[in-house]
Amino acid sequence: MPTQNVSNMDATAQHIFMRPATAAMRSERVAFNVFRVATYAVLLAASIIFGVIFIKGADTIFQREFPFINVPFLVESPETLHVFDHEGQHHEMGDREFRKYMAAHENPTIAEETYVYSAGGIFPCIVGTLFLVVGSMTIALFVGISAAVFLNEYSRGGRVVELLRLAILNLAGVPSIVFGLFGFGLFVLFAPVFASAPDASHLYIPLGFGYLNFSGWGVSLISGWFTLAFMVLPVVITASEESLKAVPKGFREGSLALGATQWEAIRTNVLPYALPGILTSSILGIARVAGETAPIMFTAAYVVRDRLPWQVEHLLDVLFQGVMALPYHIYVVSSKIPQNMYTERVQFGTAFVFLGLVLAIALSSVILRNKLRARYRW
Amino acid sequence: MSTNDQNAALSAALKGRARAKVLGLTFDDVMRYFFGGNATVAVIVLLLILVFLGKEGAGFFGQNQVNLSVYRKAGLEYVDMMRLPMEDFTSLTRGLNDARLVRFQALLASGKDAEQANAALAEFDAFADKFGAVAGDARGLMTDLTEVVSAVKTRVQVAADNDLERDMLRHAGREEEAKALKIEEVDFQKEIAAIKAAAGAWKPTADAMLAGLKAATATGRAAAWAKGDVLLEKVFVKAEKFAAELPKVELRMAAWNWEEPVPYSRSMAAFLFGRDWITASFWQDWYGMLPLLSGSLMVSVIAMIVAVPLAISCAIYVSEIATPGEKALIKPYIEFVSAIPSVVLGFFGIAVLGTAIRSLSQVEWLNWIPGFPMSERLNAFTAGLLLALTSIPTIFSLAEDALANVPRHFKEASYALGATRFQTLVRVLIPASLSGIISAVLLGFGRVIGETMVVLLCAGNRIAIPDFSEGLSAFFQPVHTMTGIIAQEMGEVAQGSIHYRALFMVGIILFFASLIINFIAQKVVRKYRISIG
Amino acid sequence: MSSELVDKPSKIVNPPSIPPTTDTSAAPMIEVDHVDFYYGKSKALHSVNLNIAAKQVTAFIGPSGCGKSTLLRCFNRMNDLIEGTRIGTGEIRIQGVNIYDPTVDVISLRRQVGMVFQKSNPFPKSIYQNISYGLELQGVKDKKRLDEVVEKSLRGAALWDEVKDRLHSSALGLSGGQQQRLCIARAIAVEPAVILMDEPCSALDPIATSKVEELIQELKKDFTIVIVTHSMQQAGRCSDMTAFFYLGKLIEMDATQKIFTKPSQQQTEDYITGRFG
Repeated sequence: MPTQNVSNMDATAQHIFMRPATAAMRSERVAFNVFRVATYAVLLAASIIFGVIFIKGADTIFQREFPFINVPFLVESPETLHVFDHEGQHHEMGDREFRKYMAAHENPTIAEETYVYSAGGIFPCIVGTLFLVVGSMTIALFVGISAAVFLNEYSRGGRVVELLRLAILNLAGVPSIVFGLFGFGLFVLFAPVFASAPDASHLYIPLGFGYLNFSGWGVSLISGWFTLAFMVLPVVITASEESLKAVPKGFREGSLALGATQWEAIRTNVLPYALPGILTSSILGIARVAGETAPIMFTAAYVVRDRLPWQVEHLLDVLFQGVMALPYHIYVVSSKIPQNMYTERVQFGTAFVFLGLVLAIALSSVILRNKLRARYRW
Repeated sequence: MSTNDQNAALSAALKGRARAKVLGLTFDDVMRYFFGGNATVAVIVLLLILVFLGKEGAGFFGQNQVNLSVYRKAGLEYVDMMRLPMEDFTSLTRGLNDARLVRFQALLASGKDAEQANAALAEFDAFADKFGAVAGDARGLMTDLTEVVSAVKTRVQVAADNDLERDMLRHAGREEEAKALKIEEVDFQKEIAAIKAAAGAWKPTADAMLAGLKAATATGRAAAWAKGDVLLEKVFVKAEKFAAELPKVELRMAAWNWEEPVPYSRSMAAFLFGRDWITASFWQDWYGMLPLLSGSLMVSVIAMIVAVPLAISCAIYVSEIATPGEKALIKPYIEFVSAIPSVVLGFFGIAVLGTAIRSLSQVEWLNWIPGFPMSERLNAFTAGLLLALTSIPTIFSLAEDALANVPRHFKEASYALGATRFQTLVRVLIPASLSGIISAVLLGFGRVIGETMVVLLCAGNRIAIPDFSEGLSAFFQPVHTMTGIIAQEMGEVAQGSIHYRALFMVGIILFFASLIINFIAQKVVRKYRISIG
Repeated sequence: MSSELVDKPSKIVNPPSIPPTTDTSAAPMIEVDHVDFYYGKSKALHSVNLNIAAKQVTAFIGPSGCGKSTLLRCFNRMNDLIEGTRIGTGEIRIQGVNIYDPTVDVISLRRQVGMVFQKSNPFPKSIYQNISYGLELQGVKDKKRLDEVVEKSLRGAALWDEVKDRLHSSALGLSGGQQQRLCIARAIAVEPAVILMDEPCSALDPIATSKVEELIQELKKDFTIVIVTHSMQQAGRCSDMTAFFYLGKLIEMDATQKIFTKPSQQQTEDYITGRFG
């Protein structure tokens, strides 16, 4: 600012560089304040959302006595909540407890209200979300980093590369629900399954030692993985390319001039220095994968499932089972059950855990990125 | 080593060492193709999206054509011609009810109790009863015919279902059972003749109704108690219009031909420009995009009206005005906002925001705002506000990039001429980054129109084209959206049914909309690169 | 750039005949035979014709954009990495082998023709790993052999005494001049026949520059060196032969002393006396 030194001078002195009280200066001050208010209004709105969910959710998650965290909510499965008055006492209990109580009191006739999913915890949802995130990010990182290496290291421009870039850009804009439909059409209904007998109601290819039936993978973890992986692919590719670009050209040239093949140069002198950046920027992709509901609604998520993902007979069944997931659970508990004091507990509690998880991921991305920036300077 | 030896070795070395090759490819080539193959995944996925949405949605227009031709052949279309005036008439009687309510409340306000008020309105009620009875016969006729054609349609559907079952039996090799399955051929000629015969009664009924209506209107106008009632006068004016229109129904019925084929283009137009989305109905299913499209646009427009000024202000503030400390706080914070999962925002809308806005709308001194007080807690406005929050980070970060990419010397040149920061901003920075900002807004719009969970949870999910007849209060009506309908109905439809395919068609429309928005945004940006030179 | 030169194009049109080398008995290490070179559609080299003798220092001088770096990067085909580049007519032969022949393996070529870049580009690894990198690429795993080569190369690059106590610390901790000498050490570790230097001293201070120049004098006993430089003093100080390029053409090539005292072309004289450039 040109007039910052004014305060050092005699305030009453007149000189030619004094800040003039022109209309331009006044309008500047007004406009800047408008911008400032708008900015802080946005921050405030976001803070209110964070605040309400964290404060209300904290009632569910934290408690006054030891261990201060509501462990059952985090490690139990959802149950139906029974609310009733019996023998002059008000009771709220989960399904299992309710049955024991009824048995103990010889099944008294009571007027009860029931609320599904409002008791117990959200453990299967947390586990399901973790499974979904790990699987889909593995696929997305593998394909995404490879694609970025091609685009940044091997490709020399031209029509094909332009087409690839255009496709990536457009893929980034496709609505998540369309990915859901696509995943449903391709993975749930059509993806090939290996079997010993042909499935006449679907397309099948005999392989000699068995058959490839195009009967789809059903609503399953693996369908969700691929759907989410493709959805997040543009994020990973863009992040990877940026990190690859940040590796100085000299590393490649120096390596090639010593007689390295291109892959040797990439493997020894590009990828090792780009990888931390790639992984850090991809964390935002994790937040996106964990947070999306629409793509998994028809491909991977179950409203309720008693078994946990690892409770399967065959190892391969892990892939071909649906899971509960936090975002879908929030959708279910906020749209399918009424809003009242009994259901609020699970609603805000789930939102708290979910928002906390996603924000923790985002926060770690920001922190790691700042650390990396400080560390890698060439 | 002598020079000659060395030279020979060098020459040999240059000719290449024998590197291992598989299928004529060195390891390096293999890696190259591997990476290239992965890069094409983006293209492949786009194509697959197109293929699989198309595969599932493809049969829709054909099925809808059948759906529409059954609507015609079974006579539903014919009966709907009579239904239309009946619905208009119902809106007349609703007008009477509104007028009564106003009078009733005025009476209460003047100190009478409910009983006294009702007594005072006895004359009015007698008139309203007479007025309503005018349409009785016509309505009865229509109801009877409705049942007849519904029965025909049911038989057609049963026949179609059996046909399908027979195909499946044949496919499974159960020829005997397939043969045993009796399929009734519906004789439309006969059915329609019967329906038309029954509908012969329409003309005298309608004439009688017309006469009754005219008489009732005249009585009402003449009555002393009706003098000066603006609402009643409105009803009478409407009734006159209705009377003028009624004879046209006959003409339309006479011109109707059940054999006229429904062209394919009609099926497409009925989808793209259809004003109704009615599914699982006892009468007739309609798959018209307009209510969903208009709902999506309505919510998006609200979101953009809120988000664009805020997001661009944020971008300007952060890139030009904020102190470095503020910048270090605001930028990551907005990144955080972008990480809020949309389902959490939707939940917030249901649990907190909807109720909060409605209570706000009931505050007395805010009544001047159109649409206040709000009747529904969840509506386009609630959803729009939350969607604004999802698009602000997108618009903000792209617009901020655009501003930051304006070359320094533009700014310095302006300052050197003695311009203030605000003048520099308005005259130099914003024009130079305008196309970047526009493309940011477009991409924000794309984000909003494709957003699912917020609108599914908060938009109120009433499938109707927003009614602007009462001005801006339309913004506070509940709507349904393209994304919302897919999310809501996809789980409940039978695979391969027309409804199922219709949902995929909506998905295809969304897909192309996103491509077009992206395309325009890129065009705008490309222009901007050139303008900076 | 002076308009004088542009006004007299006739002098540029005819490339001079192949200049005599000082040692005519031995076959030249590099023969450039009427080479045209293109970046996309624009021609960067016009029928360049010259020979480079073994175990000598040859300097390429000329104003920016004259094609000297382009030609240098043709010798190890680093230009292959730039999109749209191609060699038109003409051949470049190293030890009689046309290096643009399809049977030539670029990787093997680059192992024989080392390169030092304008901006020093040590890898962000330890000093030791920087030197051993080239050998490891060739599959050398023997620790003892690697130790030997690292020491020999660092001694060869006159860097040993300065870094012998911190071989395993990061190369990025070295000063600019040390980094450039490390890059030279890295290049000689794989024992190439030719070392190309692309303005190796342009980012260095005068003291570091003189150290690198001394090093070049030492290295020419074992290697054929081609150096591109902006500094005529440097060319004068450390090269045996000098080639002057202008607008993609070789104007004149001769013994350095002759170029700097009585050049046969007017443009060369104008450039050397500082009338343009």
